Amino acid sequence: MSSTSNAPTGNNRVRIVVATSVMLTFISYWRAAAVILNDLGSSAFYAGGIAEQAIGKSAPWFVLGVMLFAFAVRAVYVESCSMFVRGGVYRVVKEALGGTLAKLSVSALMFDYILTGPVSGVSAGQYIAGLINDTISIADVHGLIPSAVHHLFHGTPQVGTNATAVVFAIAVTLYFWWENIKGIEESSEKALWVMQITTVMVVMLLGWSFFTLLKVGGHLPPFPTLANIHYSDTSLGFWKHSKLPHMFGILGLIIGFGHSVLAMSGEESLAQVYRELAHPKLKNLKRTAIVIGVYSFVFTGLVSLLAVMLIPDDVRTKVYSDNLIAGLAMHMVGPQVLRLAFRVFVVVVGFLILSGAVNTAIVGSNGVLNRVSEDGVLADWFRRPHKKYGTTYRIINLIVGLQLFTIIVSWGNIYTLGEAYAFGVVWSFVFKTVSMLVLRYRYKGERNWKVPPNFHIFGIEIPIGLASVGMVLLSTAIVNLFTKSVATVSGLIFSVIFFAIFTFSERVNRRKHAHTAAQMKEQFQLQQAESVERETVGIRPGNVLVPVRDYNTLNHLKWVLERTDTHEQDVVVMTARISQFGAAAYGLSTEQMFSDYEQTLFTRAVSVAESFGKKISLLVVPARDSWSAIAQTAHNLDSSGVVTGLSSKMTTAEQAFALGSAWEAIPEPKRQFVLQIVQTDGIVDTFRIGPHTPTMKNEDVVLLHRLWLNVTREPGLENIHHHDILTEALTRFAHDYGARDRDDIVKELRRHNVAGGALPVRRIADQIPTVQPKPVRPSRDAGSRDDGASSPKSGSSE
Amino acid sequence: MSLSVILVKILEYMFVAGWVGSAVVLVLTGIEDVGTLLDREDEHSH
Repeated sequence: MSSTSNAPTGNNRVRIVVATSVMLTFISYWRAAAVILNDLGSSAFYAGGIAEQAIGKSAPWFVLGVMLFAFAVRAVYVESCSMFVRGGVYRVVKEALGGTLAKLSVSALMFDYILTGPVSGVSAGQYIAGLINDTISIADVHGLIPSAVHHLFHGTPQVGTNATAVVFAIAVTLYFWWENIKGIEESSEKALWVMQITTVMVVMLLGWSFFTLLKVGGHLPPFPTLANIHYSDTSLGFWKHSKLPHMFGILGLIIGFGHSVLAMSGEESLAQVYRELAHPKLKNLKRTAIVIGVYSFVFTGLVSLLAVMLIPDDVRTKVYSDNLIAGLAMHMVGPQVLRLAFRVFVVVVGFLILSGAVNTAIVGSNGVLNRVSEDGVLADWFRRPHKKYGTTYRIINLIVGLQLFTIIVSWGNIYTLGEAYAFGVVWSFVFKTVSMLVLRYRYKGERNWKVPPNFHIFGIEIPIGLASVGMVLLSTAIVNLFTKSVATVSGLIFSVIFFAIFTFSERVNRRKHAHTAAQMKEQFQLQQAESVERETVGIRPGNVLVPVRDYNTLNHLKWVLERTDTHEQDVVVMTARISQFGAAAYGLSTEQMFSDYEQTLFTRAVSVAESFGKKISLLVVPARDSWSAIAQTAHNLDSSGVVTGLSSKMTTAEQAFALGSAWEAIPEPKRQFVLQIVQTDGIVDTFRIGPHTPTMKNEDVVLLHRLWLNVTREPGLENIHHHDILTEALTRFAHDYGARDRDDIVKELRRHNVAGGALPVRRIADQIPTVQPKPVRPSRDAGSRDDGASSPKSGSSE
Repeated sequence: MSLSVILVKILEYMFVAGWVGSAVVLVLTGIEDVGTLLDREDEHSH
């Protein structure tokens, strides 16, 4: 393969290798399930209450039905992921039904994603407000509220539930807005931790509820018949004055099902995490689907059922309809203080999982919009990275702006929000399933699994299972259009606006990209490669990797070029195209990867290289996070060094730690390399990435030498070397750290870390007694046989 | 019979037929799921 450099190729164009597969670290199915359940499981906190407000006391049967049906919907996602690694709604609908319907389906999905934030934030606020009010009421009953306060509030002081929920939801949304602008890392570990705590709560909740049932008894909710479905004033929407809902029993079931369908929101996350699942991917996807299916059935389904069985009707509908689990906690058998303590735990868990869902909504929406913008459906203007943090801040601003607008307009009414939310949930599923049906006949590529059962008549496949799931979803979605007027109106307005933005952006982009492509054709030659390999890039081992992001800060590239003879050592300039959660992972086209921003960036890099008269190789890699991309690329390219600029949000030590952590995640065997961080004032900090001989401070060496001198005076230890002292010291440290003194060691290290790296060794060295006049004996180790540490005293005292 | 009644009837048939078919999906995938859970040969837990 010819050299990749800014040296003109045969046709005077600079060759750029564009890798098209995202560099990912893979996760187990347990972690994947935890990530999905952070979204899916959060609906347990509000779905049952919303459904009961709409259709009455038989709602838990519908919620259970939805959770059961969710297993079948999950099967559709498993089939789509077996066809496309990124088997989300947009990709599948685009393959099956074309760009227009894909834009429409993604508009519905965006409605779902954007509403996840306000619904979750408001729900968490409702739980907190409910706890505050009930605590004050209990305190009042026990005479703990002074009468002056009583007079001031004309009774027991209470906070406004909806207003508190709105304030809380806005605060949480703004918090995660800022975190996303800064570019927080999505951590499956954090998700796993939240789900572990949630599981503790679920087990306690179910155990205590069943114990209460045994003690005081309870009645199952009325079965879902037309006579038992009690529509509220708003649950029939446009059919409020129609006789139809009261004429047909099965229509009543569809209406009830439609009002409960939001309980399975979050399924789309299954497709989002698939690309990150460890091998064997499909089997692990199925395992993930089973885990989330069983968990959400038990959590969301059973909690809704138990709430109706244990909380008296008048209290449940009037006080706890918006915080059902809190009501359940307060209606267990046992002392009030214990129930209140458990309710606090419920609120804490609710806060964690619902706040997590607010973040998931922003991250997911950002991912989906990034994904469509990669296809040129959203103007490049939206994708321009933040100057300081490199995030797609304009997309994040748009999403959060819409979420804040929704929170304020709804004014904390969880019922209205939930009703609207269902529109996006059900229609994105409909688009997805119908597309999968179409793909059964149109898609000729690999497909490792199919939703059963399937029959063949005259050689034509009849996908009974897939069609059945589609029929349930389509009939529910159509009925919802009539019964959920708020959802229909707001959902349609939102979808039409987003569809218009997508269509307009696509046209603008098409024109712009044609111009950019023409420019690019003159200047660059893009070479697509599935993954980053040294041979593909055409460079030698031991090269220097220079990551770049902002074309205004290329000082570190200049620093490298000043010091590197590119005839002897190759310089590779790389930029990581951060592919957000939900964005495509494989098979990205070069146009998707190499936008006008990358073109400007590389044009500047090439002109810097030309000003030095030196060659550079250019590389674009897609990645989930920049540190993994740098570590993986340095590993794949056999680089001996990485030179980067100073991050605007991290210190040099933090940058080195982040890169070191990414390096640790790479499987063995792997090469160590040197990281050099060039600061704006020209100071360069150097770090070794991977295991290496540490740089020993003078004081350390003095201490080592003194210890060695003392030890060698012990009978029989005359032949001891310096490295033997180190080996013994490290062995003892490892032993102590792994056993009784671990806490003390950690505390001590932390203290020195906080104190700005004060050197304990300096003090200890002073405590080592001065070496006594040595007995007369021949010198065996005068430092010359030292283990590499040069001591100022070496040899002098022997 | 009015058009709306016919349309509602179609929706009802779709829903019922869909649920019957989905129940079959649940049974068949449930059996397969048990096999998947029991097959721990290549499970990768991190």
